[in-house]
Order: sequence, then structure tokens, then C-alpha cells
Amino acid sequence: MAFDEMKSADGGVRPAFRAYEDWLLSMPPDLLPRKNEQADALFRRLGITFAVYGDQEGTERLIPFDPIPRILAAREWKRLSDGCCQRVRALNAFLKDLYHDQEIINAGVIPAERVFGNGLYRPEMNGLSVARDVYIHIAGIDVVRTGEDEFFVLEDNLRSPSGVSYMLENRAMMMRLFPDLFTRYSVAAVDSYPDQLLRNLRAVAPAACTGEPTVVVMTPGYYNSAYFEHAFLAEQMGVELVEGRDLFVEDGLVYMRTTQGPKRVDVIYRRIDDDFLDPAAFNPHSSLGVRGLLEAYRSGGVTLANAIGTGVADDKATYIHVPDMVRFYLGEEPILSNVPTWRLEREDERKYVLERLPELVVKEVQGAGGYGMLVGPTSTKAEIEDFRARILANPANYIAQPTLSLSTVPTLVDKGIAPRHVDLRPYVLMGETATLVPGGLTRVALREGSLVVNSSQGGGTKDTWVLENDPC
Amino acid sequence: MLSRTADHLYWMSRYMERAENITRFVEVANRLSLSVPSTRDRAACWQPVLTIAGGEDDFAARHGERSAVSVIEYAVLDPTNPSSIYSSLRAARENAHAVRSVIPVETWESLNGTWLEARGLDGPRLREQGLIAFCEWVRERSHQFRGITYGTMLRDEADYFIRLGTFLERADNTARLLGVRATGVAPGQTDVDADDQLHWAAVLRSVSAFRAFRTVHGGDITPLRAVDLLVMRAALPRSLHSCLNQVRDILERLNPQAECTRLAGAAHAHIHYGRLDHLLSRGLGPFIDDFIDANNTLAGQIHKDFLLS
Repeated sequence: MAFDEMKSADGGVRPAFRAYEDWLLSMPPDLLPRKNEQADALFRRLGITFAVYGDQEGTERLIPFDPIPRILAAREWKRLSDGCCQRVRALNAFLKDLYHDQEIINAGVIPAERVFGNGLYRPEMNGLSVARDVYIHIAGIDVVRTGEDEFFVLEDNLRSPSGVSYMLENRAMMMRLFPDLFTRYSVAAVDSYPDQLLRNLRAVAPAACTGEPTVVVMTPGYYNSAYFEHAFLAEQMGVELVEGRDLFVEDGLVYMRTTQGPKRVDVIYRRIDDDFLDPAAFNPHSSLGVRGLLEAYRSGGVTLANAIGTGVADDKATYIHVPDMVRFYLGEEPILSNVPTWRLEREDERKYVLERLPELVVKEVQGAGGYGMLVGPTSTKAEIEDFRARILANPANYIAQPTLSLSTVPTLVDKGIAPRHVDLRPYVLMGETATLVPGGLTRVALREGSLVVNSSQGGGTKDTWVLENDPC
Repeated sequence: MLSRTADHLYWMSRYMERAENITRFVEVANRLSLSVPSTRDRAACWQPVLTIAGGEDDFAARHGERSAVSVIEYAVLDPTNPSSIYSSLRAARENAHAVRSVIPVETWESLNGTWLEARGLDGPRLREQGLIAFCEWVRERSHQFRGITYGTMLRDEADYFIRLGTFLERADNTARLLGVRATGVAPGQTDVDADDQLHWAAVLRSVSAFRAFRTVHGGDITPLRAVDLLVMRAALPRSLHSCLNQVRDILERLNPQAECTRLAGAAHAHIHYGRLDHLLSRGLGPFIDDFIDANNTLAGQIHKDFLLS
């Protein structure tokens, strides 16, 4: 039985959800379906959509929105918040160390081949100092829950994590649909996210910037699946949304093409992968990037957020070492645990895993988006055997974890309200310190029994409430 | 502002204005085709819609026979005709999509909503709704688009480029509308036949200028008076003079030194300080052709000066 965040095993309602249940019982039974239809129409009109890759029509779809909030108690949040910030501070320290003195490798805490053989390690970053030593300006930490006080970090997203716009838009939608609910609860506000982000980005202007820093958001373009979010963040921060073709590099500085001639750009919040940033340095076929950007970056002409080469730290093989990083760099015990993870390159661990494939989850080391993974308990024999062959062909490319019984939250489905599995992605911002707004993106697996919450695989989202005061 | 952003803003409003004006052309054709005696070729009344909006050859290649139904399908709904109302609304929305971080949320919602509704339309649904009701709806959406911009946008570059697109497109469209029946309109002309009267009354109605005509000129509708109103009268928002007033003012604010500003000033002076009988000395047709050419040259120069950089 999975841990349900609303109802305890004896059928009682947990304190954080009590006022919600009272409210729901006082409402007509068709209220939620009606509100859900309204939400759908509003999201569509607002164009809060994502493009589906591989769909020939280039269709834009809505990510299903669930009108029942996920409610976290203040004390639960405190621990999560401290744990996520701690983790990002350690990961940031790791990146600085990795690209400078490599003490953690010299100390034997992390094997050298693990990082230097990693495709996401960027030798171009060696010895380079970045503004305020910040590498991870924005991180999305995927957290799952399995019990009252059991939270695990599933994954660190340190390249350009998406979804924060849904956190903000879901809240706006909930306030619009259920204003009376917000009078019954004291829900911590999330609106300050864009302000905090802009403040941090301005604080990491490069040395070459003398006046007021100019910040831009860089998007691959309006056919990108997350374009809505890129536009949303640019609009919320009041900065330009640029594409690679809007920028050029001259004498080590970056400029954007404007109606009044070239204008200097100091900080680029880029939502585009390292590989596509600069055709002169990385993928030569990239038409999304800016020629010479790497050189401008290396010579201190511009700041990129996140820094180049952060992928090496959010790799699933590096993930195993994050608790060690917390101890090594911060001298603290990790507040949040990792999920136990087996590395299939090790013979003994591989043997163990291959004997138990139907029970386990197997993931590609650099996979993302719910692709390239096997969820043993919900897979057919043929799928499992197919995966076994793939593992044997390249064991180092895979890790395995126990199938966690993700917590459930009541969710509106065709037949009424039923528990569905969820995860949580809070967003940590690094400036002078690591901060995060009280909330995050809750993703929910809408299919009964499913543990895959990715929007590309039929997942939806929920508004995540953090209570300012816990009910007694 | 990013040049690319300015480019999207400019085309967003050009396409919305174009969608609106195609409905105006369609309405002229519709009214005329229902007004001429049924013994005459009513389908001929639809020809100007193709002439104005372009695509005559494309239409001929694909439809051959010209009928009310085929022209309406082509000019209103055809997604492969780049100048159809359907394509214009789609292009307006696509451009808005690319700059949604710059325009008011309501502007985006309005254009997106318009497109989503238009997308669901097909021939049978259009017939059920009624062509005129549809045309009115498109115009309402266009009015709403302009209204939101006027009512909420900061008067800065973004607003200038949006309005620049509107007025350049409108000048072009009004000129094309005037050119439909250009033969026979010359200075000093006094004799007016019934067809002329019918035609120019329909033109005035289509640009919502029928009442304005009565107010300004009173009396009978003559081709010359109608042309005077639609070319010379700065007080009429869809006249060439009015459009050029706006274009020149906007460019002066954007950059008084730019080459396009000089071109706009010259084009404006030509009409502002001109006299209709001089302008029409070679006939209405050549005047309209020259005007459309100059307008295109101006649009090209605006691209060079601001949008490509």
C-alpha cells in the first residue's frame, strides 16, 4: 500500500487536508469536473501548451491540470527546503572543485574515470572562474515520498530544468477557480520566483559589465516544447527573449540585434543545451547557437546561467556520490537521502539486479523525460527481456533502483476522485546563497497504478501548497 | 527592442489588418453580386476579391471556374492560400506567439482565441453561420485586437511597430480597393452611370465610410467624390492620407534620420500637399499603381532600417 498524503491507513484524514475535505463535502459533487473544464478552456486560451516531439502535426497540447491541490505541512516543507538547498550547495561546490583543484578526486571520494569519462564533462571549463562561483543558478530537484517522513531525492536537474512556469500558472489558476479555498488556508506565496531569479541573474554579471547588467532569456525558438515557459519567464522578469540568431559576438562581448543597433548583453539565462550553444566550439551543425559564445564566456565577457558543463553533476552515475559531496564539502550529514542505487557496471551488483529485473526500475545513466527506462513491475516479460539484452550490451550505461512506492494524492479522474502517484520538483535558485520559493511542481501519474509522472508519458500537474502554519 | 521582435510585431498587426480587410472585400463582392440583375454575370462580382488579395493565377490553376462558392472557399478558408482570412489569422497568431513575452497577455489571448475558433471552421459550418456573420466576427476580433493595444500598451517601440504594420497594410488595402474599378475615374468627370453608383456605394459601405461620405460630401455618390474621401480626407481613418499621417508620425518617432522616414515623409507630402485633380491627371489606375509601388518600397526600406539590422 502506497502512502497516501490525504488519508492515513486507518481511513482518517491527515491534518493538512482536513479543511480541504470539509470544504469539498460542502460543495456540489459536480463542482470539480466543472471547474476542471473551465481550467482546460482557460489554459488553452492562454496558450499554456507544450509541443510534442515526434508529432508530425506539431500539435500543441495542454499538460493535464488536476484541480485538487497537494498540501504539504510547514514542517514537512522545512525539511525538504533545507535538504534541497544543502544538496545544491554541495553540487555547486563539486562543480567548482571539479573544474579547478579536483580535491574530491584526489581524496578518492569519487573515482576519476567516473567524471572524466563522462560525455557531459566539459574540459573547456577547466580553470575557468565563473561569477560569484555560481555554476548552478537554477536547479530542479526531483523528490519522491514513500512515507510520513520518508523523502528521497530521485534526480538532480542541473542543466535547464523546466516546469517552474506551471508552478506559477497552476497557482494563479487555483486562485481563480477556488478563491474561497484560499480563505480557509494560509498558503505560502510563490509569486516571488521571477523577482528572485532576476535578482540572482543580475548579481552574476561578468567582470566586463560596468553599468547596469542586461539580462536575457535565450530560447531555441517557438517550436521548442518549453517555449511557453521561456516566454513566460522573460515576460515576468521584463527582459528580452532572444534566439541565437538575435545575438552575435564581437571582440569578446555579446550583443543583440535591436531596432536601435547592437546592444550589449551581460547575462544569458539560456534554455538551450551546451551542445547547441556555439557552433564554433560544440556541435558545428547547431543553428540555434551563437558563433564565438564560448570564447566570450571564457574571457569573462558574458555570464551563462547555468554554467557550461553542469551536466556532469546531474548524471545518474554521479548522483550516487551526492551524499558524499555533502559530507566532503559542507561537513554536514545529508538531510535528504538518495534512493539506493545499483551500478550495473559492477559485476556483483549487475548479477543482483539481473536476477530481480521484474521488481526493479532500471534507467539509462543520461536518460531523461521518462524515456529509456524500465519499470519492472508494470512491464511485460518481453519488455524485460529486451531490456536485459540492452543492459548486457552496455552495462555501464545503466543503473537500477528499487521500485519505490510513490506517495499518492487524491486526484480527479473519470470515475470521481481516486489516489494517484506523485512526485515533486522544487526549484532552487543560487545567487549569494541558495534559496527556494515555498512550492514546486507536483507531477501526477494520471493512469491508475502508474509510477511514471512525466508529461511526455501521460502525466499531469497539481498546484503544490506549502502551509504557512500547520494545523494543530 | 530586438529587431526580430519588431519584425514579429509588425507582421502580427499587418496580418490582422489584412484579415479584416479581406472581409471588407468579400462584403463588397457579396453585396454587389446580390444587387446586380440576375440576368447578368453575378460571379464576375467576385473577381475583385481575387484581384485585390492576389492569387488570381493560383486560383485559376486550382479552381478554374469562378463562382461565389469557389472564391469564398479560396479567399476565406483555404489554408494553402497565403492571403486567405484563415492564413492571415494563423500568421497573426504565429507572430504573436513568437513575441508573447512582449505583448499584453490580453492581446495574445485574443489572437490565440480568434485563431482557435477560425481553425475549427469549414465550408458547411461557414454556410451555417452565414458569410456576413463570419465577416463581422473577424472584424470584431480585429477591433478587439486594436482596442487592447490602444487601451493597454505602453506607448513605446513595441506599440509603434504594431501600429506601423496596421497602417502600412491598411494603406495598401485601401489602395487596392480603390483600384478595382479604376477605369473611367478622371478629373472633371461628371456623368455617372448606375453601375458606378452601385459599385462606389458598396466600396464606401465596405470601409464603413458610407455615413462619413454623407457627412463630408452630402448628395449623390460619384466616383470622384468617393475617391476624394478615400484618398484625400485625413479625417477618415481608412483613407490613404490618414494612413500616411500615421506612418510618417510613427517613423519620425522611431528614427527621424532613417531613410524610410524620408520616404514616408515624401509619400505623405505628395498627398498632404497635393490636389486630387493633379494626382489623377493620368487617371486613377496609374495613381493607384504608383501608390502601391511606393508603399511596397517604403515597407522594404523599413525592413532594411529596423527589422533586419
